[in-house]
Amino acid sequence: MNPSTVGIIGIGLLLFLFLIRMPVAFAMALVGVFGFSFLAGSGPALGLLSQDVFETLSSYPLSVIPMFILMGSFAFASGISHRLYKTTYAWFGSLRGGLTIATVVACAGFSAISGSTAATAATMGKIALPEMRKYGYKNTLSTGTVAAAGTLGILIPPSTILIVYGIMTEESIGKLFIAGILPGIILSLFFVATVAILCFRKPELGPPAGPTPFKHKLRSTLGIIEAAILFVLTIGGMFLGWFSPTQAGAIGAGGAVVIGLLRGQLSWKNFIESGKDGLLTSCMVMFIITGATVFGHFMAISNIPFILADWTAGLPVSTMSIMGIIIFMYFIGGFFMDSMALVVVTIPIFFPVVQELGFDPIWFGVIVVLVAEMGVITPPVGVNVFVIKGIAPDIPLGTIFRGIFPFLWAIALLIILLMIFPEIATFLPSLIES
Amino acid sequence: MVDRFERYVTVLSDWLAWIGFAGLLLMMIITCADVIGAKLFLRPVFGAIDIVILSQQVAMAFAVSAALIYGRHVQVEFFVNFLPARLKALIDTVVDLLCLALFAVIIWRLILYGYMLQAGAETSSTARIPLYPFAYGIAFACVPICLAFILNSIKSILAVVHT
Repeated sequence: MNPSTVGIIGIGLLLFLFLIRMPVAFAMALVGVFGFSFLAGSGPALGLLSQDVFETLSSYPLSVIPMFILMGSFAFASGISHRLYKTTYAWFGSLRGGLTIATVVACAGFSAISGSTAATAATMGKIALPEMRKYGYKNTLSTGTVAAAGTLGILIPPSTILIVYGIMTEESIGKLFIAGILPGIILSLFFVATVAILCFRKPELGPPAGPTPFKHKLRSTLGIIEAAILFVLTIGGMFLGWFSPTQAGAIGAGGAVVIGLLRGQLSWKNFIESGKDGLLTSCMVMFIITGATVFGHFMAISNIPFILADWTAGLPVSTMSIMGIIIFMYFIGGFFMDSMALVVVTIPIFFPVVQELGFDPIWFGVIVVLVAEMGVITPPVGVNVFVIKGIAPDIPLGTIFRGIFPFLWAIALLIILLMIFPEIATFLPSLIES
Repeated sequence: MVDRFERYVTVLSDWLAWIGFAGLLLMMIITCADVIGAKLFLRPVFGAIDIVILSQQVAMAFAVSAALIYGRHVQVEFFVNFLPARLKALIDTVVDLLCLALFAVIIWRLILYGYMLQAGAETSSTARIPLYPFAYGIAFACVPICLAFILNSIKSILAVVHT
């Protein structure tokens, strides 16, 4: 059997194992080692398995992942997210739909210190949903907003998806982070505009909360300082060349602990719980990458990515049409797969195609994140939706999914804009280069 | 009997996760100390990167079983949920046995890999820390996840029999 046929069978087997609920990380490792042994012999395959496990878990570039995840966990335990919401609440709460606008802005702020959609949605959901209920906000609007705005966690740096993408494609994590800033701000504005339009058309969706005195607004603004310090210290420190990405994450995690201690909000119990939560999340991501590494080796010797790249490059359609098809495939994949899993499975296959077609890899990274964002809020595997369901168990899943729908258009609009004006993602990284 | 086995596996995994947590904290502390030492006092921590990567191995490997027990490994849930309970349990048995086989092979190969590192006296690049204990360590840390898969497969088989 020729290698590419084995590769295609391997991909089919992998999808089958996903369907029968095998953990994504283990399914990729299993198919990878089987496929590799079929093509290169069992000795090299088994040797590769132990070597991949040992080397991936001890990879220094990958240590950026646990550090940034830990930073997000400690930032939540230190009450930073709570103070962020109080600030945005004070400024926007009195507007029509103001609490949802406050939630979007607070999510954008928390995304600047957290790299995960689920963590951002869970953190802000716990704080914002009870407030919105208190003021009679409709469940479709409140839950849809939190689930959608939580997706900003992987677009605004730091972002776990961009880190993994950067490591897999050997692109600069720093450049990818900075590439996410402008699209992140624009998407936040789109989400705010979505809320404003919805509430303009149906004012009963989000009645205004009581007014906040200006003095109180000013005082509450201090609440964003800690998040701003962490963001500037970590992301700014990386760009100024003070820290490597791993060091930036560790300094951010340490900084969040110091802030929590100074504020007297980080109890021993919170410290342990949040740290262990960060550990388990990091472990899950690292094992997915380990599985993807084994699977990637199998894909490489099957030649599938290179055959696919050559084939697509020779298609008699425009490169933008091919990119449109790739994005559509990611969109469909996002319905059924977790965003991290989607990225690690597909990048080894599609990245050579994207390179062959001449697209900017940094721009493509941002596009992948945006499509992954759609995946985390669309049924049936919308992780953020299940996070919100966990926080508000009495609200039906259908209500949350209905609430998300308008925000999907906002993400789709940004993808279209990025395809027309790639500079939205590439402008800031080009400044660093120059 | 199954309940007691489950308790043992959970307690063992929790204990190993504590070791993993210590490894994760060590990563953070050493990196912070290295940055502060290098930037402010021009004295970086000797072998900081070696310590960080080896701590990372400990952190991730020792948490893998707890991550499974607390449902943190990502799965695609939607398809199996539509199947009848008996078929679902049967599929779960197959999946658990496949995962058990994978981790049994990983343990076996990591022991061989550790032996190879030991025979070659392989060390980390700066601090010259021997690498073989870490290969054996990861192999050991994978034992509880095998026990967890054995437990899950027993539960799934019982579910097949009783539904």
